[in-house]
Amino acid sequence: MISLHGVSKTYNEGRPNQVTALHGIDLAIAPGVTVFMGPSGSGKTTLLSLVGCMARPTTGRITLDGEVISSLPERFLTDLRRRRFGFVFQRFNLIRGLSVLENVMLPAAPLGEERAVVEARALARLESLGLAGKARMPVEVLSGGETQRAAIARAMVNDAPVLIADEPTANLDTALTHRFLDIVAALRAEGKTVILTSHDPRIIAAAPVTAVVEMQDGTVLEVRS
Amino acid sequence: MSALNRQRALLDFTVAALARRRIKNLALVAVFATVVFLLASAMFFASSLRREAEATLAGAPDLIVQNLSLGRQAMIDAADLPKIAAIRGVATAEGRLWGYYYDRISGANYTVMVPSAADLVPPPGEVIVGEAVPRVRDFKWQGTPLFLSRHEGDLVRFDIARTLGSDVALISADLVLMNEVDFRSFFNVPAGKFTDLAVTVRNPRELSTVVEKASAALPDARFVTREDIARTYQKLFDWREGVMVALAFVAMLAFAIFAAEKATGLSAEEAREIGILKAIGWDTRDVIAMKLWEGGLVSGGAFLLGTVIAYAHVFWAGAPLFASVLKGWAVIYPDFRLTPAIDALQLGTLLLLTTLPYAAATVVPVWRTAAADPDAVMR
Amino acid sequence: MIFHTPILTLLLVSALAALVALWSAGFGLSVLRRWDLASCSRGQLMMERRTELVSTLFAMVMAAEAAALSLFIFNADRMAALFVGAMCAVGTLNVNGYGFPALYAQIATFFAAAVWLVLDHVDRLGRDYPLTRAKYAAVLAIAPLVLLSGGLQLAYFLNLRTDVITSCCSKLFTPANAGISDEMAGVDPATALWALGIAGGLVAATGIRALRSGRGHGLFALAGAGYFGAALVAMVSTIALYLYENPNHHCPFCILKPDYGYIGYAFYLPLFGATALALGLGAASPFAARASLRAPLPAVMRRLTLWALAGFAAYGLVTVWVILRSHLILFG
Repeated sequence: MISLHGVSKTYNEGRPNQVTALHGIDLAIAPGVTVFMGPSGSGKTTLLSLVGCMARPTTGRITLDGEVISSLPERFLTDLRRRRFGFVFQRFNLIRGLSVLENVMLPAAPLGEERAVVEARALARLESLGLAGKARMPVEVLSGGETQRAAIARAMVNDAPVLIADEPTANLDTALTHRFLDIVAALRAEGKTVILTSHDPRIIAAAPVTAVVEMQDGTVLEVRS
Repeated sequence: MSALNRQRALLDFTVAALARRRIKNLALVAVFATVVFLLASAMFFASSLRREAEATLAGAPDLIVQNLSLGRQAMIDAADLPKIAAIRGVATAEGRLWGYYYDRISGANYTVMVPSAADLVPPPGEVIVGEAVPRVRDFKWQGTPLFLSRHEGDLVRFDIARTLGSDVALISADLVLMNEVDFRSFFNVPAGKFTDLAVTVRNPRELSTVVEKASAALPDARFVTREDIARTYQKLFDWREGVMVALAFVAMLAFAIFAAEKATGLSAEEAREIGILKAIGWDTRDVIAMKLWEGGLVSGGAFLLGTVIAYAHVFWAGAPLFASVLKGWAVIYPDFRLTPAIDALQLGTLLLLTTLPYAAATVVPVWRTAAADPDAVMR
Repeated sequence: MIFHTPILTLLLVSALAALVALWSAGFGLSVLRRWDLASCSRGQLMMERRTELVSTLFAMVMAAEAAALSLFIFNADRMAALFVGAMCAVGTLNVNGYGFPALYAQIATFFAAAVWLVLDHVDRLGRDYPLTRAKYAAVLAIAPLVLLSGGLQLAYFLNLRTDVITSCCSKLFTPANAGISDEMAGVDPATALWALGIAGGLVAATGIRALRSGRGHGLFALAGAGYFGAALVAMVSTIALYLYENPNHHCPFCILKPDYGYIGYAFYLPLFGATALALGLGAASPFAARASLRAPLPAVMRRLTLWALAGFAAYGLVTVWVILRSHLILFG
């Protein structure tokens, strides 16, 4: 469904600190659970942001269900992104001072849905992740695992078909890593596509993973599925 | 419907965000409200002075003819009256009797005059007074007579027929109205003499022609038109208001620079939050709209607060902060209360003057933050 | 120059609008030269983001100009006391030769900004931003208008001299005086009302046709402009008479005063809003065939057309209500 054709990404173009993070990537991502793996600096996160419509490639083409999206104006890219992708960031990035529920509802704000509808959906998602009891609490009181699950609830509040997570288990112990993999399996069962970056062998070997993309120095070394 | 829902969701977030930084935002509103308060006080005050003056002038004659002697104003001869009345275009011409009386008991100056309107002429032995006169004389009850003394050992009794209302208080506060016979005997003005002549003309466009002809008929006289007086008042008030508004405006400018500074140098915390919002799917427009709500709430709050306090300051407390600058008239005035004179024009002006500089000062910094790269939080 | 707070405020609005216009025109030039959506360069992305700022600024300018327009008239009305012969805004505006031109320029600026915002709204519906070049070419045309309007206003305020004898509305809007205003006043009431009715019929017909077929918004805009003219003529020649219940008082400004319950706003707000929308629809209609607009545009055009029709209808209904309620009988 998502394909990249000769995609490169250069940051700080024309400036002394110019850096090319990706070199001519050709890749197709099928439904299922895909993991981008590789050492830090290999371009995993940049690739994730391009796949997730967060940024536009410097050269090359990206298509989503056959439609070229790499040259869309930022506004439409954003609109596409918030309906199609949910993001979980490495540091989770919940907004402090707001309640868990308020945080989870944030991505829905620009879409103009009825407040009650969004709230019901957010509560259902929190419930399925075992956070129903903490919905009205400020996010500061959450533990590490709970914070991650709140971030997943926020990513899925618009019912996006694709969940994207950057290094989701970097800050988790083994028990919580397994819990995360259970959630991924559950999302998979719902029919969602999940795209992760990781260098955690436990993730790569895990049952729900359907494809592994190994990266190095901004190029794809190998795709296993 | 969905546009409304979106605005409501953005507003919800804005309110929550403002509440989280409560102290900082309240301080901002307080500073802003102080500036609005200064501006609003100056405007309310000057406009109520102006309205009093206009109310008085509305009844003033088109033209006043004064007799000059040795370069000073002197009594004018009743014989000059027909000469003026004979000029084509003059509707009415009449002699006026008025003067000042220094009241040693209260230390105030009264304006004593014979009114031209028949319903304002008191019966013999009685006077109609402005609202300040009983007050400075400390009259405790209705019906206390007014004793006026021209020199040591002299005492003339007048009963107070009625007291003028306070709707034109600034100009009429010190008035004492008498009938002509009482006036002439009290001030010893011989019959056939008037203080000056009041002239009305049929067509205001012909006023200059009338003045021209009248000055040919009475070469020694001085002619003062109503517009001369109005302009003098207006210039006085405008100049004073202008000075105050200019000062308040400087304060507003300083505040705008402060606001722009603040919006530019967003705290790291706020910048991070906006980065998160962009990353989870907020568009540049959404962030701008949210920030505009924030600016609207801040400047709207400051407008309401500043205006209400200014109203109380000017119309209830008598503008203690700058009454002496703006009024500075006779001793009779200091504790007089202004009639509230605010209208949609003033409020509209004030609202525009409050929100516009703030919006203008913050829009570019706001846009700059809103235009952050959505993937910045991932790097 | 009269040192008046509303005058200072109006000049502030003009100055800010001029600043926005100049900056946007400069940016517009670089858009015309370098806009290339196919490019993925950082420069293009920055330009895209900058258009968001221009849209925001223009929306603010339009709101401020609309507020300034009513403030301008309100203030002129209030200052009438300062000028011999002036009884309302008309006299004050007549004090020097810049008053009415400044008013007309300000109205033109308001319409221009509103039309531009409609274009902007339509442009942002298409995934390839199909109107961007046209939009920024329009900015280059609007900028001089904003500057002219500010300049006229400044000249007007600087040349306000209280020793000038001016004429009030009863002088200006009488058939006995030469000029456009008295020609408007001199129109026979029956003719004026018929013209308004016919213009209303045309607006309704073209509007409904546009709603049904999704085309013909250009005609609707023309009909709307015609309705605007007919409405103003009817106001000066007839509606004002009913409002003041006086067969000789033609002034279109006095109805904005509190003495008449601010009823003027019930006339002018819908009329100006609807006319602005109609003109905007007309300006956007040549682009309706663009591939990227084919899907999203019709719904938006439909909604804006409905709003415009509602505005025109509101003007007509207020007119009927005023005439029915009035004690003046012109036809009988």
